[in-house]
Amino acid sequence: MKTPLVVIIAATIILIISFFIFTGTPVFVNNYWKIKVFCGEITGPVLKALGKPYIGIKYLFNTYINLIDAKKENYALKKKIDELLLENQKIPELENENKRLKTILKLTESNPDTSVVARVIGEDLKNWFKCIIIDKGRDQGIKEKMPVITPKGIVGQVVEVNKWHSKVMVINDTNSSVDVNIEGRDTRGIIEGTGYTVLKLKYITKNDEVEVGDRLVTSGKDSIYPKGMPTGIIIAINKNKAGIFYDIDVMPYNNFKRLEEVLVIKKR
Amino acid sequence: MKASIYILIGFLFAIIESSLLSFMPAEFLKPDVTIPFVVYNVFFLSPQAALATSVAMGIVQEILSNAPGASMIFTKIIIFLIALFFKNKLYINSRYSFSYICTGAVICESIIFMLLKWLSKGESGNVLNILLFMAPNAVFTGFVSIFIFSFIGFLNKRYLVREQN
Repeated sequence: MKTPLVVIIAATIILIISFFIFTGTPVFVNNYWKIKVFCGEITGPVLKALGKPYIGIKYLFNTYINLIDAKKENYALKKKIDELLLENQKIPELENENKRLKTILKLTESNPDTSVVARVIGEDLKNWFKCIIIDKGRDQGIKEKMPVITPKGIVGQVVEVNKWHSKVMVINDTNSSVDVNIEGRDTRGIIEGTGYTVLKLKYITKNDEVEVGDRLVTSGKDSIYPKGMPTGIIIAINKNKAGIFYDIDVMPYNNFKRLEEVLVIKKR
Repeated sequence: MKASIYILIGFLFAIIESSLLSFMPAEFLKPDVTIPFVVYNVFFLSPQAALATSVAMGIVQEILSNAPGASMIFTKIIIFLIALFFKNKLYINSRYSFSYICTGAVICESIIFMLLKWLSKGESGNVLNILLFMAPNAVFTGFVSIFIFSFIGFLNKRYLVREQN
């Protein structure tokens, strides 16, 4: 069967248009944005609906993992003890959730009317990018560029808002950068995402005072993150790197693979 | 009709993957569930249906990802054109040959994305990141595509067989 020429032409036109959208040509970007928002609003309810059984699946998943560990450690234990262990596993899970929610509540109480608690309902489909999807959207007053935090430290910023859900770019995404200060020192730098867990602290000159173990807090000068939010801790400094800047590795306080509830700051 | 059902299934698979990945620590095991649908439609349905699937799958992936605007549509259309070129040259006779083609398509997609970034912005910022995940993504997508192929086969046999006549 011969391919119709019209299909090839249509594909080429779509290819050219998508290239212009990718490069940020305003006419194409604005129209594409409308289509994307419309499609996003269809996706939202499905994603939310799937987020409900998620708690059950998560429990089953965790139980399964714990069971494998328990089997390795206590191979000789009797069936009854295994059953009791399984029941007991529910308690630490509930305790952890309680603890997490209490810290979030404490943080919310300190920022009344200015923050929204959101549950993480999805993750980036591609591992080239790092983003999470939260269950709060335009209806809850979420807007782009709002900072997202947890009691441990910053998570990222809102990059796309739909009616039902929002997309948050995590600080370890390669497109992310955060203006930070080194706590207790007069040194300022930029934290950039690498796509992996460890972040890079850039633009710290070799004259600046910096040590492994120094804690980083947001400077508030990027007009996205509020000042003084914990960001991460310096874990390695390469002082032999050529050039005027140090090569510094930073470990964020949050484990972005295990986020369950986050806080979106509405006003700064 | 068939194409719209496949698009719907691809859409649901993508949402389920996004939802499941939010609590499963599986960074290296993120299959591209949309690629098998694009490849399947190119090889087994009309070019028009395959083009529509490619655009739809690209949009779905962008909704659930932090990918730059239209980049996923761009890569999916290129995959569509390459697959169309090979349609009469390659023969899919089993789920395994389908799986090899899907694996190749994922590698191809990674290279296309890097080239797109390099051509349009003069740099390929997360090139290391893309290269690191290219092989595991491709292998795992190939693995998942075996099941997707069988699932589509089952659907065709059970519910959609009438349309073939």
